Amino acid sequence: MVSRWMYISLVILYCFLLGPFIIIFMASFGANATMAFPPQGFTLDWFANVFETSQFIDSFWVSLQLALQSTMVSLIMGMPVAYALTRFQFAASGLVETVFSAPILVPGLVIGFAMLNFFVLLGDMHVMTGLFIGHTAILFPYSVRVISASLRNLDPYVEDAAVSLGANRLRGFLLVVLPNMQAGIAAAFVLGFITSFNNVPVSLFLSGPGVTTLPVSMLSYLEYYFDPTIAAVSTLLVIFTVLLVQTAERLLGLSQFV
Amino acid sequence: MPHLEIHDLTVSYEKHQPTLERFNLDVEQGELLSLLGPSGCGKTTTLRSVAGFIQADAGRISINGRDYTNLPPNQRDIGLVFQSYALFPHLTVFNNVAFGLRMRRIPKGEIYSRVTNALKMVGLEDFADRRPAQLSGGQQQRVALARATVIEPQVLLLDEPLSNLDAKLRVDMRQEIRRLQQQLGITTLYVTHDQVEAMSISDRVVVMNQGAIEQIGTPERIFAAPETVFVADFMGFDNRFSAAVESVQGDKLSVNWGGAPIDVRWRAKVGSPRPGARAEVFFRADNANLRAGADASGLAGLVILHTFHGNEVRYLVDTQVGEISILQDSAGQRFESGAAVTVQPQTQKWIAIVEEREPLA
Repeated sequence: MVSRWMYISLVILYCFLLGPFIIIFMASFGANATMAFPPQGFTLDWFANVFETSQFIDSFWVSLQLALQSTMVSLIMGMPVAYALTRFQFAASGLVETVFSAPILVPGLVIGFAMLNFFVLLGDMHVMTGLFIGHTAILFPYSVRVISASLRNLDPYVEDAAVSLGANRLRGFLLVVLPNMQAGIAAAFVLGFITSFNNVPVSLFLSGPGVTTLPVSMLSYLEYYFDPTIAAVSTLLVIFTVLLVQTAERLLGLSQFV
Repeated sequence: MPHLEIHDLTVSYEKHQPTLERFNLDVEQGELLSLLGPSGCGKTTTLRSVAGFIQADAGRISINGRDYTNLPPNQRDIGLVFQSYALFPHLTVFNNVAFGLRMRRIPKGEIYSRVTNALKMVGLEDFADRRPAQLSGGQQQRVALARATVIEPQVLLLDEPLSNLDAKLRVDMRQEIRRLQQQLGITTLYVTHDQVEAMSISDRVVVMNQGAIEQIGTPERIFAAPETVFVADFMGFDNRFSAAVESVQGDKLSVNWGGAPIDVRWRAKVGSPRPGARAEVFFRADNANLRAGADASGLAGLVILHTFHGNEVRYLVDTQVGEISILQDSAGQRFESGAAVTVQPQTQKWIAIVEEREPLA
């Protein structure tokens, strides 16, 4: 009977996870002027509206650019840190790990507010630069954590083995360690990209006149309109994310790792 | 001239805590020499110094007459086998073995034939396209051996290569390593903490303790004639007691054992022991016999425990000199717990070690 209860809880779980999305998905094709479920009629007008609303298009490009840049930079910074944390035991390694996980533990609103104050103090900073710094800071601990996890699975002696076979330290790293970090890097990339792309609290504070991210512009759209356009944006976002993860999976073999 | 020479090697991990101090060792061409000792005795430090991963504070390491002391590890002509195998998980078996040859810029065709040949020697020619994760522990160990030997190194270093394998496989792989080593005639340094493993595989065994050599010798010699208390303890002498030397005649000395004098062979660090000096007497469980009842032929005792080991039965006997462990043929007379017995010493295989010249206080 255990299996029967497991089935039932599984179904309930899936309803909670997928239910809201199914509602949004169906609502985005509904002909009503406000969001309604079950929807009446069928129309693609709301999708057309998304592409005609410059607010969404502009902020999509801002979000995309921001997510790519901050993810790449957090990966480049995270790799050596993860390597050092897993390979060397030093006096402050525990402290370093705690400091690096701080952005995960501290609420995003606090980080965003603190950064806003900090950037105001620094003076005239470009909005995009502020967003980039903010996002890189929140992604950095994720990239360190995920890459560290992939390195912990790797026998530390493989580098010594490569060196004893004639490779110098750099070649040993490039030929033996880096290929084994690949899955971790891919996982960190996808995780970082999605985290940045979906982030609201930090972006909310750091967005400025004319420059805003997609989630923030969706939020402000919701304040004035309640038509299914927002449902259409959500549907597009989900499709975009699924495609991204699928592509990463195909190219980099994510499932080996996650 | 020895093939591998370690001269006055001093290595300290932390300041004022030398792990090796003025350590000397010579290994002959084609010899398999084991470094045997408990963890922390410096055996792995010695091995990693030869491999070049540990920088010596002082001393000299040379191989085939060439000074290796300050050579970086990737320029040393050495094959290394790790306890964890340290195979490259993203490469196939073939590419794992080919790695060292590629680093040496060997032409492609030669790499193919040498790798194929090396895999054949360890019986893995059909596994060339597998990944390490698809192999069993023993197979992974063979790949590690092939990878370390295919580069035809001057010296092969093995660091506890069998400790991750189960007991039966360990015996098989031991023979495998020995066979390969003799076939290739390669000078080998073998680190282990298992005395049975060291004895069965080596030409010579070095017993190490606290960064220093306790004894070097053939397995037979170390087994039969340990020279220090540490070696005797480590080589599995089951029984040990302290006694004052009563007299010395030639290579035998006399001690009191449960009221009767017995003569045993002696070893001493400095000169001939004097009467009154403290001797540590060792004997193995199979160097004594049990007889039913108490008589004058030996020491009286009571059986307190018996355990069956197939061909043998091990008895724990309580006597006036303490508990004695004795191994008897299981086909012979058997004794139950509580039985009164006599322990008859076979003293020709007993050994007394005298480390201090001062009389026993």
